[in-house]
Amino acid sequence: MVEVTITVNGTSYTRKIHPLMRLLDFLRDELKLKGTKEGCGEGECGACTVIMDGRTINSCLVLAASCDGKEIITIEGVGGAELHPIQRAFLEVGAVQCGYCIPGMVLSTKALLDKNLDATEEEIKEAISGNLCRCTGYQKIVEGVKLAQTKMKESRGEACECGRS
Amino acid sequence: MRPVSAVGASQIRPDAYEKVTGKAIYPDDLEFPGMLYAGVYRSTIPYGRVIDLNINEIRKLPGVVEVVDHTMIPGAKKHGVIFKDIPILVDDVIKRVGDCLLLIICETKEALKNALKQVKVEYEEYEGVFTIEDALREGAPIIGDASNVLYHIKVQKGDLEQGFKEAKYIVENTYFAQMTEHVFLQPECAIGKIGDDGLIEVYVATQYPHYDREEVARCLNLKDEEVRIINTAVGGAFGAREDINPQCHAALAAYITKRPVKVLYDREESIISHSKRHPMKMYYKTGVREDGKLCAIEARIYGDTGAYASWGTNVLRKSALHATGPYVIPNVFVEAFAVHTNNPFAGAMRGFGAAQVPLAIEAQMDMLAEKLGMHPLKFRYLNCFEVGSVTASGQVLASGVAIKECIEKLASHDNLSL
Amino acid sequence: MKKRGVGYGAFFYGTGYGNGFPDESRAVIEITSSGRFNLYVGVSDVGSGGISVMQQIAQETLKTDGELINIIWNDTSLVLDTGTAAASRQTYNTGNAVKIACEKMRDRINEVIGEKELKTKEDVNEIYNLFLDKNIETRFEGYFKATTSQVNLETGQGNPYWPYTFGIEKAVVEVDTETGKVDVLEIVAAYDAGKIVNPAQAEGQIIGGASMGIGYAIMEEVIVNKGSIKNRSFSDYIIPTSMDMPKVTTYFVEKNEPTGPYGAKGLGEPAMLPTAPAILNAIYNAVGIRLTEFPATCERVLAAIKEKEQRDQEKRDNI
Repeated sequence: MVEVTITVNGTSYTRKIHPLMRLLDFLRDELKLKGTKEGCGEGECGACTVIMDGRTINSCLVLAASCDGKEIITIEGVGGAELHPIQRAFLEVGAVQCGYCIPGMVLSTKALLDKNLDATEEEIKEAISGNLCRCTGYQKIVEGVKLAQTKMKESRGEACECGRS
Repeated sequence: MRPVSAVGASQIRPDAYEKVTGKAIYPDDLEFPGMLYAGVYRSTIPYGRVIDLNINEIRKLPGVVEVVDHTMIPGAKKHGVIFKDIPILVDDVIKRVGDCLLLIICETKEALKNALKQVKVEYEEYEGVFTIEDALREGAPIIGDASNVLYHIKVQKGDLEQGFKEAKYIVENTYFAQMTEHVFLQPECAIGKIGDDGLIEVYVATQYPHYDREEVARCLNLKDEEVRIINTAVGGAFGAREDINPQCHAALAAYITKRPVKVLYDREESIISHSKRHPMKMYYKTGVREDGKLCAIEARIYGDTGAYASWGTNVLRKSALHATGPYVIPNVFVEAFAVHTNNPFAGAMRGFGAAQVPLAIEAQMDMLAEKLGMHPLKFRYLNCFEVGSVTASGQVLASGVAIKECIEKLASHDNLSL
Repeated sequence: MKKRGVGYGAFFYGTGYGNGFPDESRAVIEITSSGRFNLYVGVSDVGSGGISVMQQIAQETLKTDGELINIIWNDTSLVLDTGTAAASRQTYNTGNAVKIACEKMRDRINEVIGEKELKTKEDVNEIYNLFLDKNIETRFEGYFKATTSQVNLETGQGNPYWPYTFGIEKAVVEVDTETGKVDVLEIVAAYDAGKIVNPAQAEGQIIGGASMGIGYAIMEEVIVNKGSIKNRSFSDYIIPTSMDMPKVTTYFVEKNEPTGPYGAKGLGEPAMLPTAPAILNAIYNAVGIRLTEFPATCERVLAAIKEKEQRDQEKRDNI
């Protein structure tokens, strides 16, 4: 057993774990954060995508023991009492079907837009290319990301105006 | 007066909020106090029999609660959407790679993983059949019930010989459609449990909860009302959640141990275990008159339905009845066969037998249009169904036929004249 | 060299179990003291939007708001058997059952307050109290059975399915003659699935179906050797990613189907049918090869191109 301290969605967790425990199992079994999904267990489908220190990773491929001191964001850490603009946009354009890929899609989108709010359609497609979806054909997800860009720019604009006044 | 117009509105679906926040519950997201983990040991051979299994050794492994074989099933040992031919646990002949041999129930996931690795099977292996041609050969081993032909249907209309006599052009080809996989993203999972009211409960992502209830009840020798199926969020299906997969195993494990039991597949087990899209061999001969009207079609369609019936009868019926495509063809002879082999069983997948035949008929249509020197869209427009058309099965399409309007849409999209 | 081509694929699709098999759906609508309706309907939503469709049909029929309809769908102890979420039958079959149940409810509502719309919990609660006062039932069941007949096995004659959904797609592809790689550049779809209940969700079905069709045409194949599947993971069973998807444009020809709920028909399965044949025809249009074994992988396409070049060369030599 090894001791790790991992910050997940802003809260620091210290746990004694098996050295071979995957980050995915740490999140789902130790912390009971069930929003992160497992689709293939080998890093091909992206259902288990989370953000680690600003970058997306497949949590099925990463050992929890290697995440000591890292900051993780899962779907439970996106939005709060109000939905995040990405989540709102996905709802509004009808980007959600079976929903199993959606937590991973939202996190891949967040990682992209946090860095580049002006991402082009090609950049959006590339950013979500590690997230398989069998239902939607991706088009409405891409539309959702574009709508999220507009929403996030609007709220950033509002924030700026507030700052000036 | 139409105060509310909900029909025709792009409303936000009620289940979407939970899905974008990660709160939607799929079966693997559920945990219950004292929950055990069960898994199935599957056959690695396509055809044969079990001579010996080290059940007693497995029972002694750390963390193993129970090892279940077919003798411990209280009710029916087989399930199936039409014919009850798929073993919950094999009691006789193994007919495919992936047949269920043992159900192992453990305290933890790790103990289960270890126990599954320790299973040793001595098989008596038979020579199997793996192609449609081999399965139809005289003297071939019989994989099905009494014959390897599970289903055979003919569709006949008009006078085929006369029809081809009228043809200016005829094209003839044989097409081979491949086997495909559904690839829903959420691997199979079910939790069996005894409810507070004493009912056997199964939490599962399924296409048809009442069918699952019937099969679980049959397997446990209970009445339907003594079983409750709770359908969770479903992570895609596309037909692969129509046959029973983990439902009976989870229920059986809970019934035996009196504790909640989760059965969860990894991707490999998911791919091996559930049905597939039928691979098909499709012989097609189609004829067109000089005026551009289709006059005859002959087609022979063979579907490899694999080891078990599943929906094989209905899939090949659908192929036969959709073999003409959406076109008026007065002279028809179509035959379709569902053929058993020791391949993975084929069943329902989005399109259900009507997905394969368009690969053939639509190629044939293009070839005839080319011979006539006619634009493929115009050729389809000239021959397609409209209200009042009669299909190959003699059905009058009395209403709701707008394929012509669909073709017009595509034509106007590209400024083409029809 | 990269060569472009255009191809079309058309289809018809009989929805429902068909062949005279009892194709039944049931739904129950209940008015409650909480100021809301409970809709009990065993619709399994596999992602295709069945719950939304039932909500919208109930909303329309009851003349009320979606927020005031509570849908109970997931427990066999609470809902009646409404058949499978398959055969593209839920919108048509179960939609009809929901509509019939809700019409019975609305007829009684009309008797007590006329055609008035029910906008708030208070409105619904008022009806509930009036129902109690007047001794009117608070629960109504809807039942629907599709009409088909068994076909004769020797002749295939009969009315095997009802209703049918129709459509056609255009595919534009680019074929790399050096590698055999096929890229799908554009899909245009035109569908007749009757009245569309939820256009955004319906369009989602078409695009998702196109994606599955692209996989069927150029990528996907389960490889089986002596009964054993060889490609058992996503690293060797390849499906389309966001990078493989072209723009899909969808048109709906909303021809009313008189037997459908508000004229609607099924859509889920039909969405994947025309894409693959359209792509295969577009490949022929681009490079003049007609594949008869699928999918059109780089290897198959390249081999066919080479074979064609050789044939063409022989033809030229013979002249």
